[in-house]
Amino acid sequence: MKKAILIVLGLALSLTASAQKLKTRTASVSFFSATPVENIDAMNKQVSSILNLENGQFAFLVPIKGFEFEKALMQEHFNENYLESDKFPTAKFTGLIADYEKINLEKNAKQTFNLTGTMIIHGESKEIEQEVMIIIENGKLRLKSNFNVMASDFGVEIPTAKADNISNSLAIKVDASYD
Amino acid sequence: MIKIYFLLLLAFSLNLAAQDDLLAELEATSLPATDYAFATWKGTKVVNLQTNELPGKGVLQYTILHRFGSFSDDFLYNFLGLDNAQVRLTLDYSPTEWLNLGMGHTGFLKTNDAFVKYRLARQSKGEKNMPFSITGFSSVYYSNQRYNDGLDRPNSARLSFVNELIIARKFNSNISAQIVPTLVHFNLVETPGDNNTVFALGLAARYKISKMHAITIEYVPQFNANSYPAAVLSDDPTTFSNALSIGMDIETGGHVFQLFITNARGVAEPFVFAQNTGSWLEGDLHFGFNISRVFTLKKDK
Repeated sequence: MKKAILIVLGLALSLTASAQKLKTRTASVSFFSATPVENIDAMNKQVSSILNLENGQFAFLVPIKGFEFEKALMQEHFNENYLESDKFPTAKFTGLIADYEKINLEKNAKQTFNLTGTMIIHGESKEIEQEVMIIIENGKLRLKSNFNVMASDFGVEIPTAKADNISNSLAIKVDASYD
Repeated sequence: MIKIYFLLLLAFSLNLAAQDDLLAELEATSLPATDYAFATWKGTKVVNLQTNELPGKGVLQYTILHRFGSFSDDFLYNFLGLDNAQVRLTLDYSPTEWLNLGMGHTGFLKTNDAFVKYRLARQSKGEKNMPFSITGFSSVYYSNQRYNDGLDRPNSARLSFVNELIIARKFNSNISAQIVPTLVHFNLVETPGDNNTVFALGLAARYKISKMHAITIEYVPQFNANSYPAAVLSDDPTTFSNALSIGMDIETGGHVFQLFITNARGVAEPFVFAQNTGSWLEGDLHFGFNISRVFTLKKDK
């Protein structure tokens, strides 16, 4: 009996210890807003992410103040008036990659996976289903995804006076090369 | 045997909890960053005082400042004072994140000026802790006004100077305040008894009533105010008033509109802080506005 307990304990420990977690602190997230009046794009290269290949779970952490705009005032308004980064300093995205068992770091490949998860921006959460491209090259994993989010889904209000300048639908690009 | 099942269950639950753990793990290992305060004020001025804010790097800023005629001076006839407004125009540019250079012209005494504003410290928390933002402002003014008394004066008599040290704190996203030790120097004063250098302490605060609107208040008491009219001309001189202003900031993207009521009409700093004849108690109040427009000349990419 004691032996069995020890074996199971050992198993449980090894499960957590051997969990193959890929990490990066230099993933990038950019967004693009297009209106006839002006285009706004911003890039954030301080995004961190973890991907657990044992169970397909992933997490992204996006510091809002890390978004860089080409106009200083846009960046200020983005933080102060729209995303309220003093109150909500980070955006988060956690979830699960379906068919994660097919990810094989040994073999160069380019494959599309589906993922489901919860995105939290501006303190509001939303369930997301999304396609991602996973590229394996020389044992390294790179994840890329393009999708749209609606600012209004996350309680970010664009005043009528600004509707000509800022689009409610934002094109997001994610690019994460794991260490 | 039951114990084994229990342990197996534990092993599973460990895995289930892993999702939240991933996020916690990320938060724990994220780069220890310094979080700098930003947008302590909407504009580079409160009303008459400078704020700690500088326009961003590569940004050209143009401002138009108006001070209408007094409420007590035929207010309606003068179209609420508009018809005898004092005007100041400025143009400034930030070659770097911490430096701003500018020039201006003020109608009062036909004054031209040049100024420099420089960031000394930024309020921050996190890895680097700093409770205040500190910004310096220095300017020199040259009055082009013709003298009508036939007396000969050196050109340097036309110069005056202002130095402000702006110590600001953003308490939360709505409330900001600053104290501004201020030094005003006139190369020439009316009488030998007058102070060439006047010391003042600017106090200002803002409260944001919505994302785009804020209420501001500003008071600049002097420690050694001069008197007017000059003692040689009058038996009953009064000291120059302290500037007190109450206003509202309205932000509309690239513009900031500041609308306010003030007792100071000279617009340029030396006249506002140390030669202000308007008194709140006697109804010498003026509508005024500052409008700024920024142009991004050099894109930061």
